[in-house]
Amino acid sequence: MLLLIAPAAFVLVCFQIVPILVGMNASFRDWSLVNPLKTWVGLSQYVAVFTDPIFLKVVLPNTFVLMVTSVAASLGLGLVLASLLNKPFFGRPLLRTIILLPLTIAPVITATMIRWSFNDQFGVITTFLAYLGLPEIAWLSDRWPSFTLVILTDIWIWAPWFTIILLAALQGLPPEQFEAAKIDAATPWRTFTHVTLPMLRPVIVVCVLIRSIDAFRTFDQVWILTGGGPARSTEVFSVYVYVQAFINLDFGRGAAAAGVGAIIMLFVGIGLYRLVNRTMETSR
Amino acid sequence: MMAALGAAIRRGVFSIGVLAIFVLFVGPVAILVLTSVRPASGAYYIWRGTTFTLQNFVEVAQQSQVMQAMFNSFVLSTLATIFSLGITVGSGYMLSRFSGWIQRSWFATIYVFRTVPYISWVLPLYLVNTRLGIYDTYLGLLLPHVAVHVCFFSWLMKGFFDGINPSMEHAALIDGCTRWGAFYRVALPSAMPGIAALAILCWLSTWNEFLFALILSGQRTPLITSTMAQFVTETGTEWNLMSATAVFAMLPALLVTVFGQKYVIRGLRM
Repeated sequence: MLLLIAPAAFVLVCFQIVPILVGMNASFRDWSLVNPLKTWVGLSQYVAVFTDPIFLKVVLPNTFVLMVTSVAASLGLGLVLASLLNKPFFGRPLLRTIILLPLTIAPVITATMIRWSFNDQFGVITTFLAYLGLPEIAWLSDRWPSFTLVILTDIWIWAPWFTIILLAALQGLPPEQFEAAKIDAATPWRTFTHVTLPMLRPVIVVCVLIRSIDAFRTFDQVWILTGGGPARSTEVFSVYVYVQAFINLDFGRGAAAAGVGAIIMLFVGIGLYRLVNRTMETSR
Repeated sequence: MMAALGAAIRRGVFSIGVLAIFVLFVGPVAILVLTSVRPASGAYYIWRGTTFTLQNFVEVAQQSQVMQAMFNSFVLSTLATIFSLGITVGSGYMLSRFSGWIQRSWFATIYVFRTVPYISWVLPLYLVNTRLGIYDTYLGLLLPHVAVHVCFFSWLMKGFFDGINPSMEHAALIDGCTRWGAFYRVALPSAMPGIAALAILCWLSTWNEFLFALILSGQRTPLITSTMAQFVTETGTEWNLMSATAVFAMLPALLVTVFGQKYVIRGLRM
């Protein structure tokens, strides 16, 4: 019986748990990739991370803003799209196919095409917005426009994921409650908020749990779209760690920041898991 | 009269909404594809001019780095899919069919390690790989790509086996099948549709994975995503060639979307 988990456990230990231990060891040392003296410095790398104004005032807020807005907006859009696709209409199969595009295309490519479409001079979308007479925005040269673009890209990628899962859940709902609501002459909106949503709640909660954990480690879109810039103002957690370790070549600092993120996620993960369990119990 | 007008308006708004969603999800992809078939001079202001060319694709196909990266990504994705599914199927089966402290602690372990951000273990993995001398090799890329799937896939596999009634396996055991035979001949074939869907998603996610490629691959074993990223962030001006490369890298995604749709949807629903 242990033989069944042995290969999985072996790979997990060697290529995830061992690196985490190596990283913890590195985070207590003055370990730079160009000058690997590896002097033991205790907690001073962690102190440095926690006193770094960029980490506290830019990276952490950005990471959580991205996490909350992206998950909330993707969930909202996903609900709308799923309800739409739940009814038959002309072009529904096509729309359902197209919705899979963001999920199958690499985030690197998505970010590339968004970067190109929003290019200040030649971008199709920038030009189109100017043509509509909207004020011209240099999308990638200020903090909030570029961060908005990062969030929008994330929503573009993940809203379809919510759509597919919620659509499956909608199609699996028992029809009796909807018939009862119809007989009671409930408006579509009231049916949605009082019948559909409560029945979808377990699915929504699990989706939000999985997505929130994954949104915390968003890297690809941010790195390709802004590279953390301008002036490090759009860095999120993963980008911050990557920059510390592989651009500034300060491995100890990078490892300490990585450890801080892992600990934050451990608590967020356990908290969310409790929340899921409680929701599952009350909705039963 | 008024009711008919109202219905017409509602239908109009509905159609516009559907069209807007269509444009929202196709638009960026269309812009990229359109850029890739414009000559170098027409790549800017792609909405002007009517000259189209396939020259960009020819030029990209002649760049040995891009082709090598595509080949490497293909091999890596295929191997990672085989190994990830191979090692998690047993782990999922165990989680589903047996109970005890080992199962409970294994389940807790995979949940906890699922929450660890990738960067937190890929960063030190760079050191481990250089120490073991497998940095920038197939082996050094394959094992992390398998490790990343262990937790989540074990969880999903457990779900597949939970959905299969164990009484069939009991029947097989009574008929003289071994425990292994009951797994291999009875449980595994029933779980096959789910596993097939998972295989497609696993292949795609390895092809699309970027952070691992960026940190763990270099000049010897370039992967398609890291090669793309290098073009965008370092050279960043030849948009026609870049788009052509992106279209090449997008091909598996397009093929899966069109032909493997059923499996992708089934895979995502799990």
